[in-house]
Amino acid sequence: MRNLFAFIYRFRAFLVFVLLEVLCVFLIVRYNTYQGAAFFNSANKYVGEVLEFQSGITDYFRLANVNSTLARENAVLRQELLQYRRASLIDSTSNLDTTFFAVTDTLKAYPFVLHAGRVINNSVRRTNNTLTLAVGTADGVEPGMGVIASNGVVGRIKTVSKNYSTATSLLHSQMLISAKIKKNNTMGTIKWAGGDYRTALLDYVPLHVKLAKGDTVVTSGFNTVFPEGIMVGTISSVAKEPDKSFFTIKVKLAVDFAQLSYVYVVDNRKTAEREKLEQNAGILPNEE
Amino acid sequence: MKSSIGLNNILQFLLFVALQILLMDNLVLYSTGFCYIYVAFLLFLPININRLLLLFLGFLVGFTVDIFYDTMGIHAAASVLMAFLRPLLLNLLTPRDGYDISDSVNIHKMGKGWFLAYTFTLLLIHHAAVFFLERISFDDVLQTLLKIVLSVLFTGVVIIILQLLFFSPKRTSRA
Repeated sequence: MRNLFAFIYRFRAFLVFVLLEVLCVFLIVRYNTYQGAAFFNSANKYVGEVLEFQSGITDYFRLANVNSTLARENAVLRQELLQYRRASLIDSTSNLDTTFFAVTDTLKAYPFVLHAGRVINNSVRRTNNTLTLAVGTADGVEPGMGVIASNGVVGRIKTVSKNYSTATSLLHSQMLISAKIKKNNTMGTIKWAGGDYRTALLDYVPLHVKLAKGDTVVTSGFNTVFPEGIMVGTISSVAKEPDKSFFTIKVKLAVDFAQLSYVYVVDNRKTAEREKLEQNAGILPNEE
Repeated sequence: MKSSIGLNNILQFLLFVALQILLMDNLVLYSTGFCYIYVAFLLFLPININRLLLLFLGFLVGFTVDIFYDTMGIHAAASVLMAFLRPLLLNLLTPRDGYDISDSVNIHKMGKGWFLAYTFTLLLIHHAAVFFLERISFDDVLQTLLKIVLSVLFTGVVIIILQLLFFSPKRTSRA
């Protein structure tokens, strides 16, 4: 027994080293695979406060940019509003007798609620990029919700604390987004291959589909994370490789991740119902 | 030889971690050159420091950076590895007549050759660990190697500048 203690004492540095490394590997594996309950991350209260302080300073240098983005968004929204107003003037069905028409078409009730959030930490140059947002459970944000900006898809919420949340950016090696090409509804999967933060790949588009440079890629809406038709980007190059049965398509992302200031968290009020139905039917969600 | 950590080292810890999180996070050269300046805290610790303490300090500093970077465990693992290898490297680099009482990690005191060998070897180990753990796989090795080399140069140059600016030839250590 004494020999054992002597042995342990002699190699204590090495043993502690091994123990700490095992702990680190455990943390890496757990954090990368396990959604939810991770306490030590940038959604933590104190960490969030430091990051918010930092972005409070750096945000001043981006005010001009933020302003122009918001103004542009306002213009688009106003344009849409005008269209709706005109349509409602022409279309008078809602005024007709309710005995002939079902007034409450449940599909028309928009099931998505948006929570606006400020980006207080952001990266674009790492292999696995993440965002920290200054919204949390107090604002109704929950893990697994989608994150969009005014001009396109951004990512997905990973962990949430009371006032902060972290999100996996689209620029993450394990992030997959179900997308489609707008003009012919061809399904594909958006994946970021690393490197340039302005381009991603659109995988699994079969070779018979006709494509052109500049085609718009939007979300498919096949999962509950993003609504259908949110902009992802435009096709910047299409290549046919001899040994593959799918196109190699590069997509220029609509969102400039280096300039993100404000984003919206998509709260799908019908997620639970739909997921339960699909689970009961034995259908696995097409993304994790 | 000073072997325990003093106020100086605690200040350095706060300073380097703050520098890392607030400034260096935004300072990346060509998307490949990263500056992990917090490593300087481990490099500048007393030469004769207890090995166990060094390991725990390595874990602590790596873990702190991990929390802010959302890379749970990666920087901690690399820092612990570096902390483990530091005494071995110091042994290898022992001057002809052993370390002096007043010796500390200081470019003026220990000479340029010793300092460069010490710094760049440990930086190479640390950065290689970080970038390979980040990728996990060995695909795209060239890109990863390029990242490692450029980042080691970047961090190394910053550390040398810090030494020349803030570490006077006369006093043993000053932050």
